[in-house]
Amino acid sequence: MKNTSNKYLITALLIGIAFHGTSIFFTLETTYDALIHLFFADHYAMSWFEPWNYKWYTGFTVMSYPPLVHQSIAALSLIGGLKFGMFTVALIGVVLFITGIYRFALLMTSNRIVAGYAAILAVFSSSFVETLHIFGQLPSIIGISVLMHALPEIYLWLKTGKKSYLATSLSLIAVTVTSHHVTPIFGMIFFIFPLIGMVIMDASRDSIGSIKAVTFKVFLNTFFKLFKRIISFGMLSLVIIIGCILPYWINSKNNPITQVPIPHGSRDNFLEITSSGLVFFLIPWGILLIVLPYIFYRYYSKRYLFFGLSLTILFVLGTGGTTPIPRLVLGETAFNILTLDRFTLWASIMSLPLFGEFVYRFVEGDLKTLIQAKFGAVYHRIAGGVLAGLFLFMTIFAMSLSYFKPSQPQQIKMLPIVNFLNQDQHDQWRYMTLGFGDQMAWLSAQTNAMSVDGNYHSARRLPELTTRPIERLENSKFKGVEGIGSLQQFLTTPEKYNFKYIFSNDKFYDPILYYCGWQRLRQLENGIMVWEKLNVPPLSSILPKEDVSTWQKILWGIVPFLTVLVAFILNIQLPLVRSLKTKSKITPAYLNFKNNYNQFSRGVLKLTHIWSIILALIICYGAYLFYIKNESHHSPENAIIAYYDALDFKAFEKAHSLINPKSDLPIAQYMLEISVTDGLLSSYAKLDAITTEIISQTDNLASLKVYTDWITPLEKIKKTDYKTVVKIAGKWYIEPEDIDLDLPPDQLYSSNTTNYFNQGRRRITTEQTHHEDVLKQPVLEILSAKLVKFENHYAIVGEVQNIDNVPSDVVLKGTLYNDDNKFLATYNAKYHLKHKLMPKEVSSFRINFEGIAWSKTQDSIPKTFNPDEFTPIEFEEQPTKFNLQAAGNVSGSDLFKSTTANITTIDDSYISGTLFNGGTEEVTIPQLLVSYYDENKTLVWVDHLFVKEGIRQQRLQSFKYPLLTNESIRIINNDMTNCFVNGLPNENIADKIVSDRILNHNNEELQTIDHPIFKFVKLEINTYIGNPN
Amino acid sequence: MKLKYLYIAILSIFLLSTTVALQTNEVADTYKLLSKKSSYTAGDAIKLQFSFTGNTDVHLYCSNSYGSVVLNPDINSSKFHFSIPQSISKKSGILNWQLISDKTELKGQVTIKSKTSIETIESYLGPPSIEVGGTDFTMLVVIPTDDLDNPLIDSTKVDIKHQFLFNQEASDVYTKHGFSYKNIYSKTKSGRILISSESLGLNSKEYDVNVVPAIPTNFKISAERIHDYADGNQITTFKTNIIKDRYENIVSDGTFVTFFITNKDGYKSKTSGSTINGIATAKLLQPDHEDQWSVKAYVEGMANSNTIVLDYKQAVEDFEVTFSKDKRTITIGPLKSFMNQRVPDGLRVQLTISKNGIIEDQSIENSLNGIAKFHLNPDRFPKGIYKLEFTAAGITKTYTKVAYE
Repeated sequence: MKNTSNKYLITALLIGIAFHGTSIFFTLETTYDALIHLFFADHYAMSWFEPWNYKWYTGFTVMSYPPLVHQSIAALSLIGGLKFGMFTVALIGVVLFITGIYRFALLMTSNRIVAGYAAILAVFSSSFVETLHIFGQLPSIIGISVLMHALPEIYLWLKTGKKSYLATSLSLIAVTVTSHHVTPIFGMIFFIFPLIGMVIMDASRDSIGSIKAVTFKVFLNTFFKLFKRIISFGMLSLVIIIGCILPYWINSKNNPITQVPIPHGSRDNFLEITSSGLVFFLIPWGILLIVLPYIFYRYYSKRYLFFGLSLTILFVLGTGGTTPIPRLVLGETAFNILTLDRFTLWASIMSLPLFGEFVYRFVEGDLKTLIQAKFGAVYHRIAGGVLAGLFLFMTIFAMSLSYFKPSQPQQIKMLPIVNFLNQDQHDQWRYMTLGFGDQMAWLSAQTNAMSVDGNYHSARRLPELTTRPIERLENSKFKGVEGIGSLQQFLTTPEKYNFKYIFSNDKFYDPILYYCGWQRLRQLENGIMVWEKLNVPPLSSILPKEDVSTWQKILWGIVPFLTVLVAFILNIQLPLVRSLKTKSKITPAYLNFKNNYNQFSRGVLKLTHIWSIILALIICYGAYLFYIKNESHHSPENAIIAYYDALDFKAFEKAHSLINPKSDLPIAQYMLEISVTDGLLSSYAKLDAITTEIISQTDNLASLKVYTDWITPLEKIKKTDYKTVVKIAGKWYIEPEDIDLDLPPDQLYSSNTTNYFNQGRRRITTEQTHHEDVLKQPVLEILSAKLVKFENHYAIVGEVQNIDNVPSDVVLKGTLYNDDNKFLATYNAKYHLKHKLMPKEVSSFRINFEGIAWSKTQDSIPKTFNPDEFTPIEFEEQPTKFNLQAAGNVSGSDLFKSTTANITTIDDSYISGTLFNGGTEEVTIPQLLVSYYDENKTLVWVDHLFVKEGIRQQRLQSFKYPLLTNESIRIINNDMTNCFVNGLPNENIADKIVSDRILNHNNEELQTIDHPIFKFVKLEINTYIGNPN
Repeated sequence: MKLKYLYIAILSIFLLSTTVALQTNEVADTYKLLSKKSSYTAGDAIKLQFSFTGNTDVHLYCSNSYGSVVLNPDINSSKFHFSIPQSISKKSGILNWQLISDKTELKGQVTIKSKTSIETIESYLGPPSIEVGGTDFTMLVVIPTDDLDNPLIDSTKVDIKHQFLFNQEASDVYTKHGFSYKNIYSKTKSGRILISSESLGLNSKEYDVNVVPAIPTNFKISAERIHDYADGNQITTFKTNIIKDRYENIVSDGTFVTFFITNKDGYKSKTSGSTINGIATAKLLQPDHEDQWSVKAYVEGMANSNTIVLDYKQAVEDFEVTFSKDKRTITIGPLKSFMNQRVPDGLRVQLTISKNGIIEDQSIENSLNGIAKFHLNPDRFPKGIYKLEFTAAGITKTYTKVAYE
């Protein structure tokens, strides 16, 4: 046979490079994974042989991911930077994928034209487009592509037994495993096992002359004949898979993944969660769904039988949680660790050769003849047009998915952040980003500063992270309450991690930052708000790391590139030299098994038609359901749900369109009303669940009870609203609500406050702050402190006063001991403390001792969780003593104190009253601290209430605080000898400044309550200002 | 086999004989310090010279406050010497040395004195703020140093000067252990103390210490209001007089004062202000019904005010309740204030609806143009007999049997 270059393959390559090569610049950086690989690459670029990375998760090892792709990007980055490296590797991936599909298709079909068709289709295959442009899984793409290159070599080794083929196949397996570890393992099962089956079939056919004559006995005989080759290949590839990334396996063994599984969309029930079904089923399968009957028909023919089985398993596993089968097949653990989308990817890749064959037969083969004979040429053209249209539609849709449904926040300019971290030794502390999406990896790659967070969840080490099903703290709000619960533990005890700075791109987190004692530093020019925490020590210059032996480091640094080099020599260079020398070309053995494309099965054509009609019906029905569910005016429920959704996403125009048009509420007025409402619920809440209950419904009027669950950064809010819905001209609308009519007394008023400014370093220098520029720590006094047992958990409650002359930031750290002075637990005050105190101001406080939530068993994770709840630490022994460390630091921020509290009524279960804002700032979230006293006016407990609505200037806001019920409470220890202020004994420092303190000074100002346990309460107010003037 | 033992035997004999030979070859090494000088000035070249017999494989281990170093000798026939490096020899203090050889241990000390001329004054001051009253103090530490950064010899005179208000003081202190210090005590006035020091004609830079007021003493409060009607709209402002400490200093700006207000029902309200020039101001919305407030302010644990009593007169004397035909729309008002003017928008009217003695709902409407309207949704409140209670401006009107169809 004359060996000419395949024009289809050339076309596929040219189009592929042009298409993917231009589009990656717009897509790759916003994918889920690409920037993570970039970060790893940055690590190798900085220290090729040192696997320990300090930048994420208080340190982790990069030996937790196969290194080839990262090292390639790193090597290329030395030429043109990290992004150059990433794009180049992506392009190499595209080329490898297209050629890989070509070779795989050629192996399967023994027809160069068909293989060429498959290669062209591969370029636009929606699963490939999705994997590259939406997921950014570069190592996975390179892995599977190289595996496909290996398949023909494996076939030839098994068929011919030539040692050179064994060498080439093993060399390619080695490249596969160094780029992606999962691919060769599952590739063995799903690609190589069926391939072995096919080889045995072919060999049997060779031995007896016809495929039809192959019986099980013949098959078994041939299997035993080829057994040596199969087993030698199997054993050697096992050695390769283990040996090439041995450090990876050692690391996996030493640090087994004991984490709570992270939910992944590919495990959802696709019928229930349609968005997952779209992303993990419909898009990757795309048009292949239509030709499924053909693909299965062909793969279940005798020669491909094993591929048929493999494809079936892949197809089923790819359906995730839709059917119980994947869970049964894989087992609970594997099901929860693996992301099942890869099975669909592999299934679609496995289908590509036969899809190419189908298209070939449709365009210029027997199928064309059959259709034209049966239905006429026009039908053939129309069918072709429809198929091509659908195919391109799926490609374009997959490509632009992130345009319609952005998976990442807008691209953030990192330079101001990088500059900030480089200035003033800010990189001596750890930082965290909030609301950056996967761009945090790009920031990490650009700075030397370290983050508490990270973006490679398998490498998480802190138990605070591994016990939660969250990928990263950064996007914890999307992980609902578990996420926020985890985040707030980091925010409350940041000293533990030397964690001082937060870059926030999402104001959702602002309230929790404030109430955990953080303060705003400034807004960078890219709009990112920097928050800082005072009293956090810098990182020590020597940080702990888990070292590995030198041979592992060397192996890890050298082997991946070595495998590429060997594979290059064996697969490209040697054959090239040989062909130049001999000019003769041997036809590969698999080309001898040509298919007969003369007689397209009528049954299959019929089946495909029926199948297409069924598919069309399903899609139409799905679209109809979608419409019914989403057409906002269709029913009262739809109107309500659409309205709340619109409010949740701040689509006020849409929300207004759902308001009764006859209610005389113009959009301007509506927007104005929205703009003046602020507060926890209207500005910081995310709708978690909504259910509606129709109380009554007539043709044109309906009353509904709407139950809503909102997740806010501070707590979970349950709300019940009554809504009236009217039907006008066949459409349902919502009646608007009343607005606050209160008029404040003053049009313009003045208010004087004392402002503070700390110069910091007075001289502009990079040296350490000069001692005279270091302010004295403000002196605090712990007025009272006691260890109490409330229900079944322990807390330290008390009061602290700033007795200095400057405002102070307060950090309270409590530690519990048992009778033998054994350390039991330590924690900081979180919400139950005014973190900023004016001179002489007092705050009640409570320190909860939080355990690492749900650390015991996975199944104890509550289905619904309140961010305000916490898991009390489990004590092995009884805490009896405590140590309390108060630290003051001068701070001039968040000193707004102009809110007053008035109690209007108290009954058995509630304290009702109003809050009045007399200042010039709008209070976004008011918090009430309620201190409970016993009959001797001794403080025994501190509770809090976040008022859901904000308070505008000179306006009232009512509150209703539910009194505690009859909880058991016991004071365990009120010995204050171990209370310290700024490291000095509390008593001494207090005596020096307030030697003749008036004890129980305002005891007579406590509010009497009628309660079986508590006799008095005191209210204090702490306010969060969302937008300081 | 026998041959093997033979080899071992021969080998052992050979080894033994060589060890014996080595032992017999040994001669006693002796070293002696030749340099007599034991005191140097910092910066001088220091050479330690030794005479020796025997082995020349010796090192000198030197250690001083700066660090330690091991030196190799310069050998010259029967003598060798060690040159102490600059980094060591320029530090004043005691330099310990030790000759390291196989056997002999020879050690000694060299005293390095600092230079006599001053180059810089190193000074430290802290804390940067102290309280009035004469017990709190700040400490200035002064270290006169030579050009090699060594502290000058002890008993160098340092003149520490400080200025406060109209006084300027100077006192002589002498260095001891390399430094001198002075505690500067606060007086009874707040302000800023400027401090400097001088030694051997060289002056330091200026330091300052803030003297902050002590804790406040009892004070008085007053209230200001537009009128004394309980209209629920105007604001009453509370003020302290100038709060001072026991030395008559005005307390620091920002001192937090809490005002507690008790109304005639015994319910507490709380407002607060921080001082500016000693005066704290706090605001509170006037009540919407007749009331008496007693107000007392505190700086907790330190000082408090007198109690003042404020009376608020009823502004809204009465209001009308009008039911619509189906009784489901209820109009309250017009609500009239003390001059029969309509109350400012936003007077709160509360409706409590109960059925069979159980509270079904409580809702609050604000007045608009003196009128508040309630609408009872038939879905929420189906057919039945309800008790309606309207409360506005402290006046409650009850309708016990309102029947809804």
